[in-house]
Amino acid sequence: MSTLTTASATPTTGTSASPYHVTFPNVLRSEWIKFWTLRSTIWTIGTAILMMAGFGFLTVFFTAQAIKQNIGADRGGPPAGILHDPSVILVGSIMAQLAVAVLGVLVITGEYSTGMFRSTLTAVPKRLPALWAKALVLTVVTALTAVVAIALSWLVTLPTMRANDAALDLGDAQTQRILFGGVLYLVGIALLAFAIGALLRHSAAALATVLGLLLVVENVFAAIPATFFRTVSPFLPSTAGQRITSTQASIDQAREAAKAAGRTAAVLDPWQGYGVMMLWVVVLLAVAAVLLRRRDA
Amino acid sequence: MIEATNLTKRYGKKIAVDGISFTVQPGKVTGFLGPNGAGKSTTMRMIVGLDRPTHGHVTVNGRPYAQHRSPLTEVGALLEAKAVHTGRSASNHLRALAATHGIGQKRVDEVIEMTGLQTVARKRVGGFSLGMGQRLGIAVALLGDPRTLILDEPVNGLDPEGVLWVRTLVRYLASEGRTVFISSHLMSEMALTADNVIVIGRGRIIADASVTDIVARSAGTTVVVRSPQATQLVELMRSPAVTVTSSEPGLVEITGSTAQAIGEAAAAAQIVLHELTPVKGSLEDAYMSLTADSIEYHSTSAAEHPFAATGTVPQEQAR
Repeated sequence: MSTLTTASATPTTGTSASPYHVTFPNVLRSEWIKFWTLRSTIWTIGTAILMMAGFGFLTVFFTAQAIKQNIGADRGGPPAGILHDPSVILVGSIMAQLAVAVLGVLVITGEYSTGMFRSTLTAVPKRLPALWAKALVLTVVTALTAVVAIALSWLVTLPTMRANDAALDLGDAQTQRILFGGVLYLVGIALLAFAIGALLRHSAAALATVLGLLLVVENVFAAIPATFFRTVSPFLPSTAGQRITSTQASIDQAREAAKAAGRTAAVLDPWQGYGVMMLWVVVLLAVAAVLLRRRDA
Repeated sequence: MIEATNLTKRYGKKIAVDGISFTVQPGKVTGFLGPNGAGKSTTMRMIVGLDRPTHGHVTVNGRPYAQHRSPLTEVGALLEAKAVHTGRSASNHLRALAATHGIGQKRVDEVIEMTGLQTVARKRVGGFSLGMGQRLGIAVALLGDPRTLILDEPVNGLDPEGVLWVRTLVRYLASEGRTVFISSHLMSEMALTADNVIVIGRGRIIADASVTDIVARSAGTTVVVRSPQATQLVELMRSPAVTVTSSEPGLVEITGSTAQAIGEAAAAAQIVLHELTPVKGSLEDAYMSLTADSIEYHSTSAAEHPFAATGTVPQEQAR
């Protein structure tokens, strides 16, 4: 059943003049193939889109119902004017970010846990190109996923928004920044998760860390009324990154509330906040890169 | 050609590979023998740059592996059977690895056919048997049509047809002038496959020679002698270098001498011999005597624990 048919190249001593080389575009193509040949990645992408559009629709639809029935914030209803905040169609990103975080972690820890990473590193022994190619594929795919998810969320909420005279003004600079920010935020989460995955190398440990950070740590920090936690909280990656989808009005409001309460905690501007999130990503990725070079695979 | 110089790997306090130097020549199959935990896999991982040596260095075709522009055409390595994402199909696994070097689909299909994986190539690797996993690993190693092959326990889990196929394949590849470095703890397999053997135990090289040399050198030839005057002959042959065992009256096995010396001694003393047969040592015997002191994980004797022979030898350390 097995036949011996090796290709004609006869080996000689000295360095071979092979037509095949490891180049970054080649490594990128390899990672692209790897990405699309696993079911788990496709499932997480689908989940992210569904979460964004689904929760967007539910929130907007039932908010509109509450408004119609005249249930105000004082009776447990939605705060006034919420439909006029463009970020309302991004409420689903709270859920979508979890799917994207799982994706970011699994892209790298899936290879560690199965031993695949040793095959990858044998093919790309300089190692770092494989890490950067993975990060780039993840960035592109997450960005496209987020664009589709947000566009779909916009589409399914459009009839309700129109009926309430709240349809997004896509020509408005702040609306554009918020929608674009929704994409950037999910990319940031994916890369943060990827970096933590690359550092910890175990799926379970990395998932627990990332989800624990997003779901527990940041909320707990925000909730504890002590100076230390109040000071640190705005600079945690997700909290800071979410500023990019906040309206200037809500930021100003938060600043005034803080001033009125006599607190000194920082309220970051949209781009400042996103910058802080990216700083986390860059630092963690840099540490992951150094360790990847040093550690035994 | 693989050249290792003073190669050392330490994990914490434990020395896995202890300053070994060796050369693996092209055009030959070189066996890498040693008991479990002797340092075979660690050495092979250092050759392809997965593990960083604590001291020393190793080059493949004149350069450290990572400095080759086209590593997969220099070295094809089978290190662990399942260094594969279980959720991906065999064919996509090969396609992704080939892409890193710009190697096309044609070569991917070729290696799938060479390794007999056609019928399962589209199935996810998670469901593969050990043998299928090995074949996929060998397919990966052959992907770049490499000048040097490094195969860690390639016949593990293969059926007899597969074992024969690997033997034929590596002999053929070596005959084309390629370097083949193949580890095993199956001596009988190496005796049939390898030209040269490097024996390693507890991280050190115990022997590095051709298969025939090793057999001749270390096993010591045993001579079976049948004689009605066996007792008298044994008295004649007695010396510190000679050991004599006897399982029935008139039949002795003499180790440490030669058939020639025994025959001449017998003739001089006018002792009648009914049989004088040199029994050639096998590579297996040679290996057992070479590594007797360096086995990391001893099995307790089977007489004490009926299941000991298969039960207590741990798997080779996973990493």
